[in-house]
Order: sequence, then structure tokens, then C-alpha cells
Amino acid sequence: MSTPILEVDDLHLTFASRDGITRAVEGVSWQVYAGEMLGIVGESGCGKSVTAMSVLRLLPPPPTTHASGAIRFRGEDLLQASEARMQEIRGNEISMIFQDPMTSINPVLTVGEQIAEVLMLHQRLGRQAAWARAVELLALVNIPDPQRRVKDYPHQFSGGMRQRVMIAIALACKPAVLIADEPTTALDVTIQAQIMELLDRLRRETGTAVVLITHDLGVVAESCDRVVVMYAGRKVEEAATPDLFSQPSHPYTRGLLGAMPNLDTPLTQPRTRLAEIPGMVPSLRTAAVGCRFAPRCPLAVEVCRAQVPPLEAVAASNPQHRAACWRTTFSSEKIAE
Amino acid sequence: MNAMAVEVSAAAPPVQTPALLEVRNLVKYYPGGGSWLRPRSVKAVDGISFSIAHGETLGLVGESGCGKSTAAKTILRLIAPTSGEILLQGTDVAGLSPTRFRPYRRDMQIVFQDPYASLNPRMRARDIVAEPLRNFCRPADWGDAPLAALFERVGLDKAAMRKFPSEFSGGQRQRLGIARALALNPKLIVCDEPVSALDVSIQAQVINLLGDLQRDLGLSYLFVAHDLAVVRHISHRVAVMYLGRIVEIGPVGELYASPRHPYTKALLAAVPKVGGAGAREKTVLKGDIPSPANPPSGCTFRTRCPMARPECAQSAPALRPQGPGHWAACHFI
Repeated sequence: MSTPILEVDDLHLTFASRDGITRAVEGVSWQVYAGEMLGIVGESGCGKSVTAMSVLRLLPPPPTTHASGAIRFRGEDLLQASEARMQEIRGNEISMIFQDPMTSINPVLTVGEQIAEVLMLHQRLGRQAAWARAVELLALVNIPDPQRRVKDYPHQFSGGMRQRVMIAIALACKPAVLIADEPTTALDVTIQAQIMELLDRLRRETGTAVVLITHDLGVVAESCDRVVVMYAGRKVEEAATPDLFSQPSHPYTRGLLGAMPNLDTPLTQPRTRLAEIPGMVPSLRTAAVGCRFAPRCPLAVEVCRAQVPPLEAVAASNPQHRAACWRTTFSSEKIAE
Repeated sequence: MNAMAVEVSAAAPPVQTPALLEVRNLVKYYPGGGSWLRPRSVKAVDGISFSIAHGETLGLVGESGCGKSTAAKTILRLIAPTSGEILLQGTDVAGLSPTRFRPYRRDMQIVFQDPYASLNPRMRARDIVAEPLRNFCRPADWGDAPLAALFERVGLDKAAMRKFPSEFSGGQRQRLGIARALALNPKLIVCDEPVSALDVSIQAQVINLLGDLQRDLGLSYLFVAHDLAVVRHISHRVAVMYLGRIVEIGPVGELYASPRHPYTKALLAAVPKVGGAGAREKTVLKGDIPSPANPPSGCTFRTRCPMARPECAQSAPALRPQGPGHWAACHFI
């Protein structure tokens, strides 16, 4: 395989507060290649968003946040980069779209001004050239009548259209990497389908690598090439999308899939119960000795509570499919569900 | 407008007897749309009719702004209806005075979407759940024993009674909201997006709890949600709303297996699926939902409909039977 465009290597993130230290991310690694869409899934508090924010160094500086490990963009470690260098990268080479399109765009500037601003800043375009490009970008993200709409303010747009504007801003400088943090969570399904189709088309046309952060396994299944599953600050499973859904290996991944009502399961009367994952996500304030999932895991044994499981290939035939579990990777016995 | 409402009511689905709740031609208009020269009302709910039988769950789905939450709250009279009938076991409660309506509130309770905003942060869990009992019952009914039973019923520990909402997780808070709704032994619980704020693994716990309660207590639910998979799992019948109107209503199996209305089809096609990824044909709906302050003439879906023809602008289609208990409102099906 070629070299990844962005590589997160053994990232640890801790937040210090009056109440103690929160270990938000513990030793997470992933890579994304040009033109690829990588999905990062997990529930609230699993560390998926802070990982993304740390890539662009959007988190508060030390001593509040402490980051260790490496984040390499084209070989350059962003954790060591100067603030001036980060300014060059943000919005230019790596850009980000956020969950809520209303709070992440400026309500008192027209959308045209906000798109043009990026181009004037990073690409040194003149006002008129930037404005013309803003119109092109609005057309690219399927905003009808872009000539007129470019002069509109965000409140004149619907939620789906605002998210398109966010995408236009993010893609203005043809970034190498686009980080999309829950880009469709605030949107309706029919609008979500439009946005996902747009993201998919744009990355194919521009070769931009996309890191899609989401809690929705359905969105991942339809759009991503590879998936990283996170739980309580750790990576628990990683695989090509078809492998993850056909052979989920980590008990947490299996639990998540079982807990989702599916449109294809036969309807019985009375309904079959959904598979529950008992308990809840552990507090990240306490240091975990063993596997973070062990207290909720149906397969947990002594070793799970004592030692952190390493990330290992699930099967010798497929080294790309890896999971961090003592029971489903190490032991040969496959536990039937 | 009136002519259309009559048309819809004439073709409204027949009541399945004995219905616990029957809604006929419910309308909720808000003033304030349009310009000051040409004031328009926002037609949040525009003449909907349905019924819910004892022990049945009716799912109400649609996208944001379609009026599903307004409909749910109007049925409970948390919002005053503009017109229409709300028959609770045969009594029309829509026009009752607040005093005369009060006893009926015991039979209809609600679980809200946001478990963070719907619990008073300054009240202990015990007092939150006891509040409806204080309002309607004798002191003996809000003693420790009946409250402990309620906590146990929803899967919360008795020790949790002394805690404040901030000490609970999202899923536990929603259990607390359910316990509060159960306190008065209602016949109908309106669930307004009860799981959409929860993580998948917690969502499953709450859905299972609602299922268990229905089985054990014979409750009826009006389950308002935008997640089609969740609605399919929990409902017996499903109504699909678009811009204040019901465009399709039917038994869950049939509606999901053979949707008739083009909007239902598009909605189902837009749901990302875990199985058989990639290969599926997608009909992506163009455009956005029009504003309910200024809905399109005729069929309100025509601006996004792949099947729309000039006739659709002329008249609003009425609900027409498509099969046993299955109705859809489209000129071309």
C-alpha cells in the first residue's frame, strides 16, 4: 500500500480539570489514504470527536490538554508543528465540517463572504476572483441559483443547505483531507442521503481523503471503505467495511449491531427483543486495568479484567481486520452467539 | 381549505373498534407566517385522522417540521387544537374546559425527547416521579412503597430515589421520564422521540423497556419518531406525515414491505442500511421540505415528488384504501 496522507499514531489525549484527569483517548492509531473514506464510529464520549479535533489542534493547549503520540500529515508531525504552520494547514490542506451547521457558520456574514474569506486567506485570491470561485463552489454542492444565493445570509438557508455551505467552505482550497464530524446527525434522512451522496461524489472527483466521524453504523456501511470502532477512548476493532459488518469480531461491535433495529429483520409478533448491552460507558476518570469493555462484556474472563488486550488480526487470512479482544482473536474457540 | 379538510375526513380510515383514542380531522394552525400585508397561518397540523386501539402502538413518522410533535402535543392538549375532535374512549375531549378536561389527563401521559431538559434539575428523582401523584392522588399513593415499585418497574434502583437528575446517565433519565409517565396508570403514553437523544446501546434498553411495559400493562403508545427502523420495531401500525398531513397509514409489515406513497418510498430508500451495502439503488429526493407557512398548492409533496404531474398542483389527494387498513394519499396510485 502507498503511504497514508494522514496518520494518527498511538495518540493519547488527557484533559486535566479540578475533578481529576480524564483519559479521553488512550493509544489510538489509524491511517487514511488519498481518495479513501475512513469511518470512525462509537458512542458519545468514546473519544472520536476529540481525536479529530486534535488533528487540527483545536483543543485547548497544555496544561488543560495533554497530547502525546504523533499525528503525521504527509510525514510532518502536527503535534510538533508551530502555530503559524497550523494556520496554513487548517482549512487549506486539512479542513473540517462540524455537526451543527448553524452554530459553525457566522450568522452575520453572507455565505459568499465566508467562502471567499478562505480563498483570499489561503490562496491569495483577489476579492473578485474569490467571489467568482464562491459561486462555482455553491454550484458544486448543488445549491440552486448560486449567483443569487451567494449573497444570502445563513438564516436564509435550510439545515441541509447550510451543511452544503459548510462543505463548500471546507472544500474551497481543495484540501487533501476532510474531517467530517457527524455531518448528517442534525439532518433528516432524505437530506442526509443528499449530503452523503455529495461527499461521496466530491471525494471521488477531487481525491480528497475523508475521515467520517459518526455514531450511525448505517451511514458507515453505505459510504466508508474502512471502519475504526472506538469504545471509551480506545480502538476496539478495525476492518474493511464489508468485513466489519459480515464478521464483527469485538463483542462491543457485535453488541452495537445487535442493538440496532434493522429494516430487514422479519417482523414477529410479539417482537423479538433487541440485544441490549447492559450497563453503561465507564467513566474515563478512572484508569482502566484491563479491557475497558470487560464490565459490560458477555464473554469477559479473568484476563480481560487484568490486562489490556492488544490489537490483533482476527484471522490469519485477513491481517487488515483487527480487534482488541482476548476472547475473539487470541483464542481459537469462536464463541457462538 | 375547508373543502379539502372535508374531503380528507370523508375518506378517513374507519375506526377499529374498540378504539382507545380516535383523532378526527385534527387541525393546528399557528398565526404568524407570511408578510404583514398578507398574513398566513402556519399549517403545522392540517386535518389528520387516526385511531389507536387498546394495547396498540401507532408510530408517527416524518421529517423535522412535518408536524408530528405538534400533533402529539395537541392530542394531549399541551397545545390547544385549532379544530377537530379528540375522542378518548368515545368522549370528545378537544372542546372540554380545562377543569372538565383535567380528569382525562390521568389517562394520557407523555415521555419527552430530551431527558436532560424534561426533568427539573433541582428536584430529587423521587419527587419528579411523585409529582403527578401529588397532583391527582391521596398521600398514601405517593408513599415510599408505591414509588419504589415504580422505580423497579422501569429498571432503576430504589437507592436512586434520593438522587438528582444530574447524577443519572441519559438512559437512566429517560427511565425516570417513563416512570413519571407511568405513575398515574395511564392508558395511553405519547412518546415524543423518546430514544433519539440516546446512544444505540442505551436506545435498545429503552425500546425493550417500552415493549415490556406494553406487554405487562396493556398500554397504548403513540410513538413519534424520525428513525424508521426504531418505529418499525416498536409499532403495530404506522402513519407517515408530510407537511402537516398524513400521506400514508397502514399496518407496519405492509407499509414497510410495500409502501404506496412516493414519499414513504423515498423515506425508506433514504435510510442507510447495514446489510447489502453499496449495491442498492437509491432514489435521492431533490430539494428541501417546503415551509409549512407557505406550502405548495394541491399535493404538498409535489415539489419533491418524482411522479408529480400538472394535476398534482390542482387538488390535494385524499387518503384512499390500498389494502386492509392501509391508506395512502396520492393521485397516481
